[in-house]
Order: sequence, then structure tokens, then C-alpha cells
Amino acid sequence: MTDYIFGGRREGEVPRTHEGRNPRDVSHLASQRLGVPVAWWGIAMLVASEATLMFTFIGTYYYLRSKTPVWPPVGDPEPHVVVPLILAGVLATTSLPMQLASMAARAGRLVATRRLIVLALIVQCGYISYEMWDYQHELQTTTPSHDAYESIYYVLLGADHGHVWIGILLNVWLLAKLGRGLTMYRLNATIAVTWYWHFVNLLTLFVIGTLTSATLL
Amino acid sequence: MLALVPLTLLLASCGSAQDTLNPQGPQAKTIASEFWWMLGGCVFALAVITGLLVLAWVRRGSMGPGREPGERAGWIVIVVFGIGVMVVGLVVLFFVSDVHIMGQTEQPAAGSTKLTVRAIGHQWYWEFDYPGTKHAVTADEMHIPVRTPVLIEAQTTDVIHTVWVPQLNRKIDTIPGQNNEIELYADKVGRYRGQCNQYCGLQHAHMSFYVFADPPAKFEAWLRKQAQPAASPTGELARAGRNVFMTGACSACHTIRGTPAHGTVGPDLTHLASRTTLAGLTIPNRKGYLGGWILDSQHIKPGNQMPDINLDGPQLQALLAYLGGLK
Amino acid sequence: MATVELPARERVERLEQMWQGKPGILGWLTTTDHKKIGLLYFWTTLVFFAAGGAEALTMRTQLAHANNNVVGPATYDELFTMHGVTMIFFFIIPMTTGAFGNYLIPLLIGARDMAFPRMNALSYWIFLTSGLFLYIGFATGNGPNGAWFGFTPLTERAFSPTRAEDFYTLALIFNGISSSLGSANFIVTMFKLRAPGMSFNRMPTFCYAFLAASFGLLFALPVLTADCIYLYLDRIVGTHFFDPAHGGSVLLWQHLFWIFGHPEVYILIVPAFGIATSIIPAMTQRKLVAYPLVAIAELLVVFIGFGVWAHHMYTTGLPTIQVVFFGAATAMVVIPSSIQVFSWCMSMVTGRARFKTPLLFIAGFIWMFVNGGLTGIMFVSIPFDQQVHDTYFVIAHFHYIIFGAAVFPIFGGMYYWFPKVTGKLYLERPGQISFWLIFVGTNLLFFPMYIVGLLGMPRQIYTYPGNMGWTAYNLAETIGGFLTAFGILVCVGNLLVSYLRGLPSGPDPWLGPTLEWATSSPPPEYNFAVIPTVTSAYPNWDPEDREEDVRKLADGVMVLEEGHEQPVVTTADGNFSEVIEMPHSSPWPPTLGLCLGLVFTFLVLEKFFVAGIFGALCLLSLVGWHAKEPQEA
Repeated sequence: MTDYIFGGRREGEVPRTHEGRNPRDVSHLASQRLGVPVAWWGIAMLVASEATLMFTFIGTYYYLRSKTPVWPPVGDPEPHVVVPLILAGVLATTSLPMQLASMAARAGRLVATRRLIVLALIVQCGYISYEMWDYQHELQTTTPSHDAYESIYYVLLGADHGHVWIGILLNVWLLAKLGRGLTMYRLNATIAVTWYWHFVNLLTLFVIGTLTSATLL
Repeated sequence: MLALVPLTLLLASCGSAQDTLNPQGPQAKTIASEFWWMLGGCVFALAVITGLLVLAWVRRGSMGPGREPGERAGWIVIVVFGIGVMVVGLVVLFFVSDVHIMGQTEQPAAGSTKLTVRAIGHQWYWEFDYPGTKHAVTADEMHIPVRTPVLIEAQTTDVIHTVWVPQLNRKIDTIPGQNNEIELYADKVGRYRGQCNQYCGLQHAHMSFYVFADPPAKFEAWLRKQAQPAASPTGELARAGRNVFMTGACSACHTIRGTPAHGTVGPDLTHLASRTTLAGLTIPNRKGYLGGWILDSQHIKPGNQMPDINLDGPQLQALLAYLGGLK
Repeated sequence: MATVELPARERVERLEQMWQGKPGILGWLTTTDHKKIGLLYFWTTLVFFAAGGAEALTMRTQLAHANNNVVGPATYDELFTMHGVTMIFFFIIPMTTGAFGNYLIPLLIGARDMAFPRMNALSYWIFLTSGLFLYIGFATGNGPNGAWFGFTPLTERAFSPTRAEDFYTLALIFNGISSSLGSANFIVTMFKLRAPGMSFNRMPTFCYAFLAASFGLLFALPVLTADCIYLYLDRIVGTHFFDPAHGGSVLLWQHLFWIFGHPEVYILIVPAFGIATSIIPAMTQRKLVAYPLVAIAELLVVFIGFGVWAHHMYTTGLPTIQVVFFGAATAMVVIPSSIQVFSWCMSMVTGRARFKTPLLFIAGFIWMFVNGGLTGIMFVSIPFDQQVHDTYFVIAHFHYIIFGAAVFPIFGGMYYWFPKVTGKLYLERPGQISFWLIFVGTNLLFFPMYIVGLLGMPRQIYTYPGNMGWTAYNLAETIGGFLTAFGILVCVGNLLVSYLRGLPSGPDPWLGPTLEWATSSPPPEYNFAVIPTVTSAYPNWDPEDREEDVRKLADGVMVLEEGHEQPVVTTADGNFSEVIEMPHSSPWPPTLGLCLGLVFTFLVLEKFFVAGIFGALCLLSLVGWHAKEPQEA
């Protein structure tokens, strides 16, 4: 029989990664594949698309700002600075447990993975609870239909909250999945969700930074 | 051969009222002559490509798959024509048009014009007023002095429209919340047709206007006249018509200066009878047409802001007599 | 693969069993087979093409002579808006990326399906639902009428009080989801699912074109989505994004729309470039001249396309410095296009061209594209652009580009791949007749538009006076329009008759260069019995590699018949990374598409609570979608 080598390897050397059904197999198979999984590229595409949308919102904010002499316009309340910035910073730290969870899953340590995700999830839920309360609260003083500043303020902040919500739902779903053991599919999902959270955390810093810049800069 | 077809077609059609290639002002002339140069270049380029396609057809046949004859020649053609010639051509085109010609067609420098006209777009008519005079306001027919640089301030009360008189200069949009400027300069006495060029709703098609370039003295007289309030009605019928206008629906939407009518929905009618057309050049300003317009404007220009006015015969005759007197 | 030995036959049978979809209607509903989805896209987009064409012919009838009264202004405005939106979002994009891309890309890269097969199905169902959504609006008297570019403030509630513009904004957002999912899928497929050994420098130029278009869509669509969200909120919630009286900006809409809109033009034509670069080597039997340059040019044209948007806004009174910048960018974008044009021409000149119908359409495409491209170069001149902006000159220009450069290759591609998809040969003579009808028809249709444009005829007017010198040209255009329509009918008729009566084509009637010709016609559900060996950009012209495939089948190497198995490679080098299990038939994509359609329907009706319920159902169907993991299949 001929020795077929293509793409640098023989068929027998290549892992059939979907066969990973327990932590040890998953870890072993993951170490044999080259480069990132398909799921990583999938989430990268989602992030590219979402980032463009959010970048458009942020761009709109500065575009409108460039057309307005006083910012925020006269009659609009100054945005809060300290609490949102601190909270965004706290949210950003959840990238660490998420990344560690990813690494633990890849090493086949299921319990550690779950605990790290729960830790991140608690912080993330705390963040969104406060922010939702604050959003509601702000809507009682002024609304998005007050002027263009308020329009973009609420849309930008609301869209960011939407991303945090999606991340939280993904984490809940992931925990439910991981509750039934580790498979290659779930490892890929953990990697993808982790990258999604890196994006959401960075995005939140940008969004909160943009919104608070009305007071700071 | 191919080049001749468009050229003949174009030459055959010169002289239309909105012809960009029959320019009557310095800006439009520069643009038109640049067009002819560009057309020459394009015809040449298209001829080259057509030639290559014909050559491919002449050389048609078949050969074994997967070979690469003439790869070197292909690269040379791509680099020389596809990159080299194109880059040179584009750089020349860019500097000639966007640096040199654009200097003339841009918003004129402050103080370089002799007269200012505000062109205000409405759905669907043009209001022209003359700042610096005492409320000279007209609609759909702008007058300017010949051989005089005139500043047009393009504005709108509703949506985006475009001021465009192709025989004089390029176009400019009217943007809500923004004042755009352009210069109009007519070399010759005459009537130039303009048209709204940005889709602005139902009656975008009927939003044309005339620019009359008059000798300076005639223009001055016209402007003085336009600045005055409306002529008082003379005669019984016209006075009755004035009554119809003021008590009926008309005065809610139209202004006639010097009377209680101050509506701003429709065009200013103070000197209606001095205009040659109605409704954005849709119909001529003659008694029969005007009567038809008043009774049934929705038929002539569907969707326009003026409702069909229900008048009996004597009322209409009176109204027409009054409006006909607004010289 | 003429003599299949016994163990090999068993392997193929096992593959067939493994990849078989459900029979009947249910099979079409739940399919994740990229070929079936491609065909669904094909037929659906043809229906939208017919609708958009009927709208165009109605308009042309109205404009056939001055002061005509076939339709009133209200209908006319809906017609040109629907025509633009339909042709761009519901015909060309789904036809090129949806139909051609779906059917061909996995075949061209030696894969068995797309990277995300169920998401691929979802793209189709969302596309279908969004199209129905838009046309339900049209049928219920809420056809968008603010032109395809929907400039504010005309589309704001103050000037468009009906729901028409809500259908417009929501349909564009909705359709954008479909295209975004599709383009993400194409990118990942081309990055990860190529046959092992197909490094980037061996990827067919067709794939480069679709890669460029997919990246274009991925980054352009969110901008349009943001713009449409603003307009929807302005109209429904009362925000002030486009209201200068409250700090908004009318030009914000235009900036965002054209940041999307100009890349969009390249997104429309670049896949067509890809079709051309597939047909030319096959019909000339010559490798494409300057392949690396063409591959780079295909990517560059979209990239630079993101930097030229404001050339649609020269007449809005932007500051001179900005305008000049965009003039220069507009000049730059010409170069990658001219590189490609000369490469195509020189390939045809230095090879030996067989002028069959597909190549005729490509030659016609080159001529039309150069014609429209040259008048595009005229817009480098800002003053000239400002003179003819929004006249029929521009209409002529972009129809030469969109019909000439995007639709001609679509027809060429239909003929070229017809034998692959059906296993039958099309009728050559009617094919050539259809080409000449369409070529003459479109030139008669669009060339006079240049002239009436120069004579000052604005676009989007429902009627015009008789004394402007426009009438004769308009009549000629109308005749050209009907001639084109007749040519298209001949083309479609030819393909239908050939489908029923055509002679068998065999796997490779053209001696094509790429992998789709290495498998049978029509391809089996698993595409390739053996994942093909690739050592060049023209794998089907490497006979040793194809012989190796046959030996591998006999030896049972790379048959991957244990499941829905698919090899995955490293992104750039095509090194063999892993074998994964692909999902197969799922009821969830159409379910999710339907739920999402109901979300948008209730958003247009402003029943936000109900919309929220269906939104929750969307999330639940996503959970169901992911309940079964590949290893459980």
C-alpha cells in the first residue's frame, strides 16, 4: 500500500476529534490538532461583524459630537463617570477566569472549568444587574427621544448591554452543557465563548470610555 | 466605428433645454469640454479592449489543457497597460479635474459674486428670494442679470432637493440644517431650464424651474417690481376674486404680500401673473390652465400639497380675474 | 474512476448511505447539503429576478414616451424602490454568493459541505423569509417608496407616514442577517475546509473572489444595519439621529449608507469576476495570466472599495478637502479592476478560446464592464460627477456595471455549470442566440441612458415633458428592455428544455481546471468519494493527482466513510489538522427562520411584546439546534 502524505500528514496521524467524549480523550485529541478549531473562526466572524456594528455606533457618537458645539448638549445630564468606569473594569477582569476556564477544559479539568465559568458568571450577572437598574433609572430623567445625544447614548449603551446579555446566556448554556461532562464539542464551545467574552469586555471598555468621555474630555 | 455611434447620437441631440453638452456658462463649458476629452480617452480604451476580444476570437481554436503560452507577454500587457498607462491617465485626470477645474465649479469665494439668490426647495416647488431686497420672493422662475456672477444659496424647508441648471453649472443639494452655495453665471441672455435632481417624493418629476438671464437694466426693473407688494385689484370682478381668495382656502396656504394672506405652504403669489409657468413648469400660466389647476390640481400633479378647490363658475372667474391682475 | 474495485465500491456505498438526506419535501426543508441549498437559492432568486424585472419593464413602459400614464407617481416610486432593493439584495447577492457560492465553493476546495451546514440552511431560510416579508409589504400597499438608498428626511415619519419605510428598514436588517451568516460561513469554509494540501496559493481565483465578497459583506452590512436601526428608531421611538433640529444630522444617513453602499457595488461584481476567472481558463484551456496578481486584485478591489463612499455625496456640499480625498480613492480603485480586465483579455488572446455560450457571456461581460467602468472613471472628475450625478448617465453607468458585469457572468455561469448541476448538456445554438439577444438588448436598453443623462434627464422621475429631446431615446431603451427580457426567457427556456431533453454530459465536458469537474455530474451528496489530492491551483489539470485519488479509494485512504466526516486544515498552509463530524439534516434552521420572520413582522406592526415572545422562541430553537452534538449523531 502506498504511503499517502498530503497536507503534511498521513491520515492515520490526524485526530478524529469528534471522538472525544471524556475529559482525557478530549485533552489528548485537542493536543494533536494543528491550529485553531473551526469554532474559533466562527466566533471570530461573529465578533468581526458585531464589532463593525458597534464601531459604527461609536463612530456615530463622535460624528454627532463633531457637529454639536457643546457636548453633551445644553439641557442633557452629564453621564456618570466613576461607577460605570469601575464596573467596566471589573467586568473586564472576567476575561481572566474565562481564559483559565478555556485552558482548564483543554487540559481536561472539567470541575475547574465549571467553577471558573461560574465565578465569571457571578461577576457578569452583578454587572448587568446594576447596569440595567441604572439604565432604567436614567430613562426616568431623560429619554432617547429628547435629542440626538440621548438617542445615541441609549442606543450605544443598550447595544453594549445586549452583548453582555448574550454572553451571559452563552455562559449559562455552556454550564448546562458542561454539567453533562466534557466533549470535544463542548471544549470548542468553551473556547469560542471565551473569545466572545474577551470581545464583550473590550467592547464594554470602549463603549463606557466613549460615553464617559463627554464629561472627561 | 464603435466610437462614431455615440458621437453621432450625441451631436444629433444637442440643443435640448437641459443639455449638459450645450453649455451657456463658463463652469458648464469647462465641464463639457472635459467630458469630450474624457470621452476620447474612454473610446480609445474601449477600442483597445474590443480589439483584444476580437483578437481572441480570431485566434479561437482548441489546445491541450493546462498550458501557459505567452505568460510573459500577458504580464507585460497587464503591467504596462493595466497598471502603467492607467496610473498615468488617472493621475492626469485627477489633477486636471479635481484640482484645476474644481477651482471654478466650487462654492464661490466670499465677495466674488454680485448678487445673492436663495433657492429654497419645497415639496414640490422652488421658492426664490432675493436677500437684500425688500422681500422680493418668487417661485419656479428665477431671474438673474446676464454676465454677472450670482451666488445661489441652496436651502430646503423639508427634504433634500437639488438645484441644477445644467447649462450653467453643476448641481448642489439642499440639505436640511445646512446652507450650500454655488455660482451661476450666464454668458448670454436667455432662458435656462433647471430641475430638481434628488428624488424628493411623489412629484419629484414636476419640480423644474427656469433661470432667466436678463440684461442688467431689465433685471433691475424686474427686481424692483417683485419687491413691491401686490397690485390692488381693479374692477368689480377682481375685487370679488380677492374676496374669494381671502375668505376661502387659498389664503391659508399662500402669501400675497400687502394682503392678509400669509400662508407658507404653497408658493408666494404676490406677482403670480408675471410668471410664465405654473406648478414647477408643469403647465403654462394662462387663464384656462390656471383655472384647471385651481379646480383639479390633483389631476395635473397628483399628490401635490394643494387640494382640489371647490368653486362655482362665477367664483372661479372672479378669482382668475384677481390672480390675473397680480402682475 | 471507471473500474471501481469491490472494497472501493463498498466504501462508496457506505458513503452514499451515510450522506443520504431525507426524501421528498421534508428533505428540502431539513437539508444541510450545500448543493440543495444552492439550488433552493437559485430558484428563489430567479423568482425575485422575475419580480424585479417585471418592475423594471413596467417602469420602462411608463417612460416609453413623454407624459405617459401607465402608472401614477405613487406606484412608480414603489416600483423603482422595489426594483433596486430586489435586484441588489434579493437577486444578485443571493444568486452569486447564495446559489453559485453555495453550490460551488465546497466542490472547488474539495470539501463535502460548508463549515457550518445548518447555519448555511439558516441563511437560506432567513433570506426567503425576508424576501417574503418585503413583498408582503409591497402587496399590502406598503411597498417602500423612498428609493433603494432611502435618504432621510424623506423616509422619516414626517414625510413617509405609512409603514412602507418600516418594511424597508426591517427587510434590509433581516436580509442582512442572512448575508452576514452566509459570508461568515464562506470565509470559514475557505479557511478551514480546503482539501489538505490546498494552501492559499493553490486556491482557485473563484474562491478569492468569493472570499473578497464575503469579507466585504461581513464588514459592510453591519454599517447598513446600524443605519437602518437608527431610521427605525427615529420613525418608531422618536429618536433624532437624522433630525438637525435636535442635534442629528441628515448626512449621517448618507455617510453610513454609502460606507455600506459602495463596497456593496464591488460585492455585487467581484463574485462575477470569480465566475469569469473560472470560465476563461476552462474555455481557453489556458491557466489564467498572472494568477497571483488577479487573486490580490480581487481582494484589493473590495478593500479600496471601503474608502470611496463619499463619491456618492459630492453634491451634498462636503468640504473640498474631503471631496478631493475621495476623488483620489476613486481613481485608485480602478487599478485592481484594470489588472483583472487585462488578465482576462490576455488569457483569451494567448490561449485558444472556444467561443461557446459561457465564454460569449464572459466576453460580453468584459465589454460591458469596461464600458461601465470607463464612465465610472469619469467620476474621478468631481465637477463632471457633480454635473451628471443622479441623472440617467449614472443610471446607465451602474446598469452597465450591475447588469453587464454582475448578471452577464451569472448567465455565463448558468450555462457553464449547467452540465455539472444537471448532468446534461445545454443546447448550444439557442444558448448563443440568447446571448446575442441579451447583449444587443442590454446595450439598446442602457446606452441611450448615457445620452439622455447628458441631455439632463434626472433619475427617478415618473414622467417627463415631450419637448426635452428625451423621448426617442427612452423609447429605444424600452424596446431594449423587452428585447433583454426576451433573451432571458430564451436562456431560461433553453436550460429548462435541456434539463428535460439534454444529452448526458459526463463528469467533465469542458476539461475544466478545478475540482468540481473531478467528481460526477451531478455530484453525489458527499461530493468526493476521496478527498482529492491538490498540488496546484488547477487540480483537475494534474492527471497524476487524479490517478492518485483512484488509488486512494481502492486503498481506503481519505474516504472518511465512518460518519459525516470532513478533514480540517490549518488556515494558511492547508496542513491537515483534524477530521471532524459534520451535522446533517436539521429541522431547526427553517424553524428559526420562521420565528425570526415573525419577530420582524411584529416589529413592523409595533407589537413589541409579541415580537419579544417570538424572539424568545428563537433562542429556544437555538438551544434545540445545539442539543444534539456531533459525536451523538
